[in-house]
Amino acid sequence: MTASSAQGTTGSVPLRPLPVEAYRRMSVVLRTGLLVSLVILLAGLIAYLVEHGLEPFGTAVSTNPILNYLSLDGLASGLAHGAVEAYLTLGLLVLVATPILRVASGWYYFQRGRERSMAGITLTVLVLLLVGILVLGPLVR
Amino acid sequence: MDLVLFAVLVVLTGIAAGLVGSLTGLGGAVVVIPVLVIAFAVPFPYAVGTGFLTILATSSTTGAAYIRDHLSDLRIGMFLEIATVPGALLGATFTVFLVHANLSNALLIALGAILLAIVPGTYARRHVELPTGVVPDARSKRLALAGEYHDLALERDVRYEAGRTRPALGVMFGAGVTSGMFGIGAGVFKVLALERYLGLPMKVSTATSNFMMGVTAAAGAGILLSAGYVNPIIGAPAALGTAAGAYIGSKVLPGLRNQTVRWLFLPVMIALALEIILRGLGLA
Repeated sequence: MTASSAQGTTGSVPLRPLPVEAYRRMSVVLRTGLLVSLVILLAGLIAYLVEHGLEPFGTAVSTNPILNYLSLDGLASGLAHGAVEAYLTLGLLVLVATPILRVASGWYYFQRGRERSMAGITLTVLVLLLVGILVLGPLVR
Repeated sequence: MDLVLFAVLVVLTGIAAGLVGSLTGLGGAVVVIPVLVIAFAVPFPYAVGTGFLTILATSSTTGAAYIRDHLSDLRIGMFLEIATVPGALLGATFTVFLVHANLSNALLIALGAILLAIVPGTYARRHVELPTGVVPDARSKRLALAGEYHDLALERDVRYEAGRTRPALGVMFGAGVTSGMFGIGAGVFKVLALERYLGLPMKVSTATSNFMMGVTAAAGAGILLSAGYVNPIIGAPAALGTAAGAYIGSKVLPGLRNQTVRWLFLPVMIALALEIILRGLGLA
């Protein structure tokens, strides 16, 4: 790309673009994660409706059916036993994890480009996300 | 109403919200949350949890396209996530506390008030195609918060630099808290920080705000999910519907996205916000 400066740019900030590969990788991470989670959620929803479709909606809406699958043990045994609720939980987890994976890939590219400040910032964001979700979330439950 | 009918209606609501969201630039969550509360009497925290899922379902689709086209500034976006992520974690935690303290109604009133501010705010956004007179601060120089994109309309490459990072971080923290508390994208605040304080070009601001949306929503969704307020029976049909609606909106109807369509939805959005406030006050 040839740089023709926009009006008003001081030119005092260096241009340090991430490699094209980083853009492609993040785009692929987001698309794949979304597709996988939506497929799991669709299959899980249909299976759940086959089992419970004729029940009144009020009960399922006010009592969350996945509460038993929010721990690692609960989720693992639910998946092993083919519990539909466990697969729905898995779909939600993939949906939430997708942008977090995108942050992780950002950290990888800053690290590889030896940009210590930006790598530190992205790593902090990553740690905040993981600590927040895995520690703070269960604490307020 | 049985669950099958409920799920079908929520999918349809999601499709409508995804379409309206992509046509107006508001995002789907601001439509889905009030409709769930008003039409289906979904408890507030479950509606918020669903809001996050609809953001996640749409931001990854549009986000991926913006990234591929190099319109999102990954560096500036990831820098600002240091403010939105703690904001969203705190906001979502605060909402869980308020819900446990039986203050859901106060949250409904606050959500209604926020919607009343956000909708006209999004519409009235003064668009500066290419801001001038941006003076980068020391942090902007140190972190190389600058970029370049090819503007198809202007038919040239445009270079830009980030200006005042401190107020931008402050507004981004506020955007994170708002997003985390109410399950909405709070894009209008993100764009405010990007356009007004950092002085980024309009297209870059929109794309970067969108790029950051998913991570903010993941923070809020993560908290509510572990707290038990993300219910897939509501969330899955809503996410599937909004993803479909946003996809259709982006493929079939790009020409429709104009001022007229936006203003047509304004009375609908104001009515939803007022109804939410009445619910919160126990008057509906």
